[in-house]
Amino acid sequence: MNQLLLIPIVAFAKLLTWVLKLSGRGSGTALPGYLVGKYFPSALGALVSQIPIIVAITGTNGKTTTQTMLSATLSRVPGVKMLRNKAGANLSQGILSELLKQSNVWGRLDVTHAILEVEEATLPRIAALLQPQIIAVTNLYRDQLDAYGEIDRTEKLIRDGIAQCPQAVVVVNGDDPRTARLTNGLGNRTYFMSLAADYAKFLPYEGALHQRQPQEAGLEASQIRINPDLTTDFAIHGTLAEAVEMPQVRTASPGFFHVYNALMAIAMAKLLGVADDTALTGLQTFKPAFGRGEILTKQVGAKQVHYRLLLVKNPASFSLSLELLKAIPALKLVLAINDNTADGKDVSWLWDSELERLNQAQIDWILCTGIRAKDMAVRLKYALDTPPPEPILTLEPIREALARSFDTAAAGETIFVMPTYTAMLEFRKLMGKTLDIV
Amino acid sequence: MPYALTLTHLYPDHLNLYGDTGNLIVLKRRCQWMGIDCTVQSLTMGDRPTPGHTDLYFMGGGQDNDQVAVVDDFHQLKADAIQADTGAGTVFLGVCGGYQLMGHTFLMGNGEETPGLGIINVRTKAPGTEVKQRCIGNLVVELSSTIHTEMTTMYAAPKPIPRTLVGFENHSGQTYLGEGVTPLAKTITGFGNNATAEYEGARYRNVFGSYMHGSLLPKNPHFADYLIWLALRRKYGDDALTLPALGDREELEAHHYAVQRYGRG
Repeated sequence: MNQLLLIPIVAFAKLLTWVLKLSGRGSGTALPGYLVGKYFPSALGALVSQIPIIVAITGTNGKTTTQTMLSATLSRVPGVKMLRNKAGANLSQGILSELLKQSNVWGRLDVTHAILEVEEATLPRIAALLQPQIIAVTNLYRDQLDAYGEIDRTEKLIRDGIAQCPQAVVVVNGDDPRTARLTNGLGNRTYFMSLAADYAKFLPYEGALHQRQPQEAGLEASQIRINPDLTTDFAIHGTLAEAVEMPQVRTASPGFFHVYNALMAIAMAKLLGVADDTALTGLQTFKPAFGRGEILTKQVGAKQVHYRLLLVKNPASFSLSLELLKAIPALKLVLAINDNTADGKDVSWLWDSELERLNQAQIDWILCTGIRAKDMAVRLKYALDTPPPEPILTLEPIREALARSFDTAAAGETIFVMPTYTAMLEFRKLMGKTLDIV
Repeated sequence: MPYALTLTHLYPDHLNLYGDTGNLIVLKRRCQWMGIDCTVQSLTMGDRPTPGHTDLYFMGGGQDNDQVAVVDDFHQLKADAIQADTGAGTVFLGVCGGYQLMGHTFLMGNGEETPGLGIINVRTKAPGTEVKQRCIGNLVVELSSTIHTEMTTMYAAPKPIPRTLVGFENHSGQTYLGEGVTPLAKTITGFGNNATAEYEGARYRNVFGSYMHGSLLPKNPHFADYLIWLALRRKYGDDALTLPALGDREELEAHHYAVQRYGRG
């Protein structure tokens, strides 16, 4: 596409974004990209071809966190001008919207690196255009099955995407059997990210753990310790282009999931030439992506109550987050379950999630909220061997659940909130946070 | 004498989509709450069931690959025992793929119709012109009045029994009932067996098939109890046997909420 043709397109998109913002109809994330993608499909190619280095991150869980971790690292490197799509805006229109927003009126992008989170089914549609230097695949869990049909299909879609990028280096979860085999039969150089066997066995993958073969290079995390403040410490060793030894790594995100995300971010940072100490500092200063362990505080008068948000989106993330809660004394827990399209309309997955893990937690009280609060309450009734000291409360409106939990908590206490995607957006909005925080 | 039941979960590792495990969790807990000694055995690829050992079979649905993987094993190792047991009145619940596999034909992922066990006289076909996509969405149905009437006699104490079942369907196969098979329920919202007939599920003797995930039994405790009751009555040959009436406050609240929110009738 002639670059000159971009000028009116970019002007149109910027005008539209401005109008949308002015009229209060959202942050203008998707619509400009949607319209431009529909009527000027070549605009995406014309924009991405200007970016020297592109990283595409896909997989069912951890895309946003991995992207945020890598960005926190790269942003510390002098001369790097980075672009990233907003959390969750990971379909082609969301990516295109961001590119349009970042370009100047001449359609030029002054960007050295694009770190893109790409939805699984979108990857094969845009991979040939993007030609990323690195493709990272975090994991492949069952996610919102009613949206796509089946995980086998998702695996195939990602593989198709990788096959269109023979030059890309691929970074995969090396324990997940589905991601570990993605490049079998393809020529792509592949690095495997894994946890030491003691930890990996706790993770609910779809099939037997992949055993890393001697010729498969990658990073392994060991000595993993989740601290009471829900930071995580671990050690990394392994091989990328050369040997890697990082005895002390810390992330602000709790849990084994985030160790994989950190391994991926470190591997990608190193592949992009970032020095070890810069990568480690970046990881330590990283703030959890919204809903992924972030803490929000509500204050009324002198009383402050903290809310720790742990997004749940499928049985795997739910079960693992519950694992973390075993370590929390006098657990106060809000479960916020919606069944909107972005959450998955079928709540069957609550029964695949191991709520039984709460039997080892020290529960103070539990409150169920969201459209499917009652389904959650039934799930808990069957999961718990003995009911908690306080009867489980069910309050559909999230606004009321927030108010009730605030009133119930003592000043300074932390309440854990496990929301589905749209429940999290609603919760954050009630706390005065909007989507555009990245 | 305390009652005891043996439940057999078929292919829990292959046919485990859409929370169908929840059905076992519910059967097990309810037995525990009712003082019934309940054992769950899992039978997967390569295992051969012992005829006469099981009181209640459960089989769920799986992904296309997994469903293809179990078909031969199902015919070769499981069919004889299941045939003999269900012929003798053992309770069987099949959901989605597990329902289809008990019929004459079921639908493979590639749209191919493959022979099932033929224990229950139903056929599952590929969608034709009348339905273009998968049947996906909330499902609210009205129980067959025969079953509902029977349910009113199963408890030791009076207890409200919903006339409805609630769940979530997600299937492309279109199931048609043959002679001798009665529908489990009439559709209020959603498709059920197929896009045209307005009926959901099937019953033949004590074999039940349904397209309801959600999972099926947690929000339909009356149906869970009905299966337990049928299994106990058959096992102990006692037609006057009744079950303790559990409280079910949370279950029925969730049930009625779903009827109200997703039922259009």
